[in-house]
Amino acid sequence: MKCIYIDKDEVLAYLNSKDRHIEGRSYEWEGEDVVHIHTAAQPHAFGCVAPAHWHKSSLPTKISTPGQYHIIITSDTEVKAYYVKDDLRLEECDVNFIPSREEMYSRSKGILEVDILSNKRVMIIGLGSFGSQIAIELAKAGVGEFALFDFDRVELHNLARHTCTIKDLGRLKTNAIKDAVIGKNKIAKVDLFPINITIHEDLMDEQVEKADLIICATDNNASRFYLTQCLLKHNKVALFGRAVTRAEGGDVFRYRPGGPCYNCLVGSRAHAMATEEITNRSQLPAYVSEEDAHAMIQVGLSSDIEPVCNLMVKLALVELSRGKKSGIESLETELDYDYYIWANRRERRHAVWAPFNNAKNQPTILKWYGARISKDENCPSCSAHAILDLGEELNTSPLENNYEGIVLDTEY
Amino acid sequence: MDKARFELEKAVLGKKLPSNMYMFKEMGTPNAHLLIGARTNAKNVYTLQIMLNDFPSSVPMVYTTKPLKDRSGRNLKVSHELHNYGTADGKTCICHYPDESWSPRVSLYKVYIKCRLWLECYEIYLRTGQSIDTLINEINRQGGTSTH
Repeated sequence: MKCIYIDKDEVLAYLNSKDRHIEGRSYEWEGEDVVHIHTAAQPHAFGCVAPAHWHKSSLPTKISTPGQYHIIITSDTEVKAYYVKDDLRLEECDVNFIPSREEMYSRSKGILEVDILSNKRVMIIGLGSFGSQIAIELAKAGVGEFALFDFDRVELHNLARHTCTIKDLGRLKTNAIKDAVIGKNKIAKVDLFPINITIHEDLMDEQVEKADLIICATDNNASRFYLTQCLLKHNKVALFGRAVTRAEGGDVFRYRPGGPCYNCLVGSRAHAMATEEITNRSQLPAYVSEEDAHAMIQVGLSSDIEPVCNLMVKLALVELSRGKKSGIESLETELDYDYYIWANRRERRHAVWAPFNNAKNQPTILKWYGARISKDENCPSCSAHAILDLGEELNTSPLENNYEGIVLDTEY
Repeated sequence: MDKARFELEKAVLGKKLPSNMYMFKEMGTPNAHLLIGARTNAKNVYTLQIMLNDFPSSVPMVYTTKPLKDRSGRNLKVSHELHNYGTADGKTCICHYPDESWSPRVSLYKVYIKCRLWLECYEIYLRTGQSIDTLINEINRQGGTSTH
């Protein structure tokens, strides 16, 4: 018997409409007898497509086309589905409902406040292996609105760590992740921005202002510094996450208005300028040869970035639910560090950490460590008493300060 | 660059350099830049164009307003040995700062000093053939600082 899935919200919309009959679409996973039926064509849907006729109360008197479906709706709970066989006989199908949003997230009640999250807007900048996973996890938790930023397309080298699949190759990441988000939260509102944030200042400003939380999952400091300016302007909370070389570890920074900003972090000892993981050619200087590029592109395992994504999702849920009664409110007081560090392996930056099986009180792998970052009183971004780096540490004595007779070349 | 930062940069440059040595141009446009003169120890004068479109969020691109030549008299081509991004439209783009150690607290004055060091290395290269990469590594070893 064919197993039919029908969206309950579509059934209700059809019942409330004046239409007696509509022609929708069916999407069948051939050979599996699983069919999803909709009132209209679905964007980016997979499976063998055939018309599906929706009727109120009864079947039509004459059915002449095999391979199609007929759905009879008498109420939101009384739905029957038939498949027209080759000899035009009708085969009754087993009908299942895709639940409404309230039903989908009812299991989270008591842990997460679904009603709160459904009204929250999360802006995610960068939809690589971090941003894509975080978007989907937040959709699963019931976040209702997303603004997704990424100008890249899904490429072969992304697939090993990315939520997108071979079927998404070549697509804009924004579009592919929107589909994945809608697949988890069908009524989520998802706005797409396939652009470079650093050259769309007004749009960034507008979107940061609209968001309840900003997640920066990009792979370079320039975008983090740029975003920091917008966060300071609009007093918004943001999470910054990244992996370091070959995902030997990672870190997460949370900016809260009034607290230390990302620039304060970069100037602190805790951050220590760990080498950023290089995952693609565009992050390398223009003069690097193909051979060197191959050696420098150091991608870690998906399982190594998973813990960092996981903490970012937890912090995001804490921030979105802050001050509301929920099953995770105890985390508000426990996850109060500005900066979190994780190591997957004892390499490079983490080489001096203790072995996991004999760590005693020393830092070791596969554990989170939190740190409080001091606000830099002379931070050029967030302090009223900014002091710039004038390069005094550079030994300038070999440079003669002879400025006489310099005429600027303005004919360039 | 926001207004407060612009004022700060102007104040630093005003304190460190004579006012005829630099000028901000096309501010508020995507082509905003600082023109700044540099005179090397060998008394050669260059004009540097420091692009400000993404400053201070990222390392500013720096061009010489005239093309720089290699020892054979040809325009410099993109090269790690000679730390530059090549010559186009009559300008050579020099590589003065590593992305990974950039911080928004770095002033335009420091960028200028780095470029001055780069120009000294370039002129030593012209005289001796030593690569700019080797010379900069030597400066880093002596000064213990991160100069690209």
